[in-house]
Parts: sequence; structure tokens; C-alpha cells
Amino acid sequence: MSATIEVETSGVEQRSPWDAVLDWTGSVRAVAVLRIAIGPITLLHLRPFLRDAVDGVSYDDHFWEPFIAWLPHLPGRLWFAMLWIGAAAAVLMTIGLWTRVATATTFVVVAANLLLSQTHFRHNRAFLMLVLGAIALLPAGRVLSIDAWWRRRRGLPVATDVVALWPVWLLRVQVCLVYLASGMSKLVDPDWFGGLVLWDRVVRYQHVLEPTPLPGWAVDLLTERWLYYAVGPAAVFTELFIGVCLWLSSRRLVAVWIAIVFHVLIEVSASVEVFSLVAIAALAIWVTPTTRDRTVLVGGDDTMSRAVMALVRATDWFGRFRIVRAAPSEPVISVIDRDGTVSTGGTAVGLLLSRLPLTFAVAAPVRVLASRHRRHGRAAATG
Amino acid sequence: MVTELAPNRPRPELRPHWRRRLVAGFIVTVLGVQIGFALNGYRDPHKFFAFQPFNESSTWRADIVRVTWDGQRVPIDAAWAGYDWDELVGMAALRRPQRMRHAYMGVGATVDFLDDALDWVATHTPNDHETRYLEATVVSLENTHGPTTTVLRSVERTVAPDES
Repeated sequence: MSATIEVETSGVEQRSPWDAVLDWTGSVRAVAVLRIAIGPITLLHLRPFLRDAVDGVSYDDHFWEPFIAWLPHLPGRLWFAMLWIGAAAAVLMTIGLWTRVATATTFVVVAANLLLSQTHFRHNRAFLMLVLGAIALLPAGRVLSIDAWWRRRRGLPVATDVVALWPVWLLRVQVCLVYLASGMSKLVDPDWFGGLVLWDRVVRYQHVLEPTPLPGWAVDLLTERWLYYAVGPAAVFTELFIGVCLWLSSRRLVAVWIAIVFHVLIEVSASVEVFSLVAIAALAIWVTPTTRDRTVLVGGDDTMSRAVMALVRATDWFGRFRIVRAAPSEPVISVIDRDGTVSTGGTAVGLLLSRLPLTFAVAAPVRVLASRHRRHGRAAATG
Repeated sequence: MVTELAPNRPRPELRPHWRRRLVAGFIVTVLGVQIGFALNGYRDPHKFFAFQPFNESSTWRADIVRVTWDGQRVPIDAAWAGYDWDELVGMAALRRPQRMRHAYMGVGATVDFLDDALDWVATHTPNDHETRYLEATVVSLENTHGPTTTVLRSVERTVAPDES
């Protein structure tokens, strides 16, 4: 008996955590959505440089400081050409034409422009560069692209969207490091943690607050020092919470939701170039990389079901749902979850909306609150 | 993580061993460099790639003068052989230094850039035959603490004084 066990266990390959990372495979569809979003964001990022290029102003026409002094000096005309190539590549990346080359080119241009001069450095630009680098490592044109459409059109076999996802794992770690590095630096800084930095900044920009529709008492409240003894630590812990909880599957949706709110607040209150846009778009990497693992059964009359199916199809960017036409006598929407649970009515609509990117921010917390309310109601009834 | 793969999906072919090692090496290198930058941010005033945004609410102003070959101290907003400070430095962080303003990059990075900008301006103003060097007296408040005064001086210019 013991000999048999020995033989069996010796056949089991010991898997290291590295194997789990390197063997991780899944659908690249969420990355394709990210790719589509990052193209226009890259154009937005390049816009001030392109404006200079149109005016004939090169980066070396004013003060600049190379990161590496011995690197050859890039002539202004070449810089102009590089920027326009980057802009064209960003457009091609978004529409998915020659996707791999276009993405790699966009990454190279953004990275080269960032590393050209220390004066070009901004954290949001470095973050954009990281995201582009990760997308360039993946065949993100396998879906939602002209490349994929053209391939189908020519009758070539459809390339699978299931690929090795280690670049997504790498980007996940990098994104978390961004939140953690930012949160840690503020945690150890008494001026930041004590709220002084935030309070001083709000007081300094009070003149911007005053013409807004905010009532006078709200502006007064926002400029009170005591408020920031709470806001400072809350901001720090929010960043740390996001950085840690994105890794915990049980807390991931909460972390994604908080990250969206956090970045919207940053966008409203500070000038951060494309940071908020890149950070919100990059949340796509936390989508479970499987497609059509839930089913939406659409019943009701023909017109209604067609409309619902079209709407779900148009808004299900991550391909979470398989859409099936049910009999007209069936409920308008039923959802079969991954574990086989079937829900109908408000629960099904809640689940559906909480998994569609456009409605996630509102539907996810409403669904959680409704589910808690139902649980309390049941507990009260049985108690 | 492997469990996230849909059961009926085709699995990509396993990579050769050398390629797996290459990927593992790449991942370790990228993360090592990024962690290195994150730690370096605690000493580097610019915090390059350290992801420490909005780290300060500091303010600064600077009186910048051109010290001429005959010892005069001429403010940069006075006539200057057709040059303009704001156009020469370009970057928004260094423009209008006479006004007390927010150091959005942090006061350390701003002062460091200003120091480098003085050198750049001193060596990129060939029509200026008066100036020997530029000098900036910077007054800064780091997160309302201070003020701190720093004096920066550019390299000495090699442009010969105008004999005419």
C-alpha cells in the first residue's frame, strides 16, 4: 500500500508559485477593451507635445535635461516625426489594425518621449507607459479588432483569445505597487497623514471652490483644518486598501469600486493629466479572464427581447454573458451564474447590471445594499 | 489562478523551458527595478518612477538676476538681449518665478530643476554679451514649514563681453 502511494506521489509534479504565474491562461478580451480605451488616452497624453510640434517648437528649444547624458541628442525633426508616428500608432492600436506592431510602436514612442528629458517626467505618463508595455506583450488584437474581423473575413481559422496571461499578472503587480508606493510614502509623512498637505492645498485653491455651485457652508467646511485630521488618513488608507484588496478575490469588487470613486475624486479635485483615465481603464485587468461563463436568458415578447439582447450585447464589453433567447412565456431576464444559480426579476437585473462596465459603479453597491436588505428582512421574519 | 480558465477552452501550448526562464527573469527584473525606483523615491527629490504623486503642498518663489561682467545684478524681467525667462525654461513649474507659487513637483524637484535651468539658460543665450552668470535666491515653504532660503548660481558663461 505504502509502495503504491509512493509511486503515485512521485508522478505528481511539484508546482511552484512561478508555475502558476507562467501557466496562467485566459481570455485576452478584457485587455482588448483596455487597448481600445488606451488609444484615445494616449492621444490626449501626446496632445501638448503635438501642439508644440505643429507650432514648430521642439523639446530642445527650451530647457531640457536628459536622463542619460551620454545618449545621442534626438534632433527636433525626428522628435516631431516620432510624435506623429506615436499618434497614428495609437489610433491603429485602438481600432485593432496591425494591432501588435501598433501597440509596440505606441509604447516605444510614449517611453522614448518620457525618457527623452527629465522635464517630460510625470507619474501619470510613467503609469501610461507601464500599461502600454503590458498590452504590447499580449496578442490583444485577437478580439475586438479589425485584425480579427479581417481574419474571419478571409476565412482563416479564428485565433483563440485564450493566451498566456503573465503580462497581465505583471501589470497587476505593477498597478498595486503604484497604489502601495503612493500610500506608503504618505503614511510615513506626518504632514500627509496628519492632513496638512491636503488641507493646505484646498485652502490654497479656495478661489477655485468659491465660484462652484457648492454652498458657502460647504466651502467653509472644506477649508476647516480639523476635517483633514480624518481626510488625510482616509486618503492614505484608501490607497493602501486598493493596493492590497485588488488581490483578494473576496474584496476585489469593493476595491475596484472604491478605486473608481477615488480616481473620479482625484480628477475633480486635482490636475493629473491622464492619470485618472489610465487608472480607471486599467481596472479592466482585474476582470476574471473568462468569457461567456454566465448566461442571460431573455424572454418576453419579441420586440422586448430583441431590444434587451441588443442592449446587453452592446454593453457587455468584457463578454461576461452568453445571451440566449428564451420562450416568450419566460421572464424578460433570467441569469444563470457561474455556479449554476438561476436568478430572475430584480436579482437577475442587479447581477447583470453589476457586471456590465458602464453600470457597474452604480449597480454594484445598489445590489450589495439590496441583498443586505433582503437578508435583514429574512432574518427579521424568521426571528 | 489556473482555475480561472474556462474548462472548455483550448489551452495554449506549453512554452519551452528556456522561454519560461526568460519570462521569469524578465518579470523579476521589471519588478526589481520598479521596487528599486520606489525605494529611491525616498531620497530622490524628483521621485522618478517612484509613484509618489501629490507628495507636498509646498510653495516657492525666486528672485533671479543676471550678474554682469561689471558686477551689476540685473533682474531677469529687465531687457535681456531679446530673451524671456518663461520662454527659455518652457516648463510650467519654473515659469513666473517672482510670484510665490505652488511647487507641484515638490520643492526639492523644483529647486533642482531651477539649478539645472540656470546652467541651461546661461549656456543657451548666445546673444547676451553682458551676463557672467545667473543667480537665483529661492525662498520656499515645505508644507507650510519654513521659510528656507537657497541661493543657486549658474555656471560661469564663456561668451565674451560685447566689446562694442
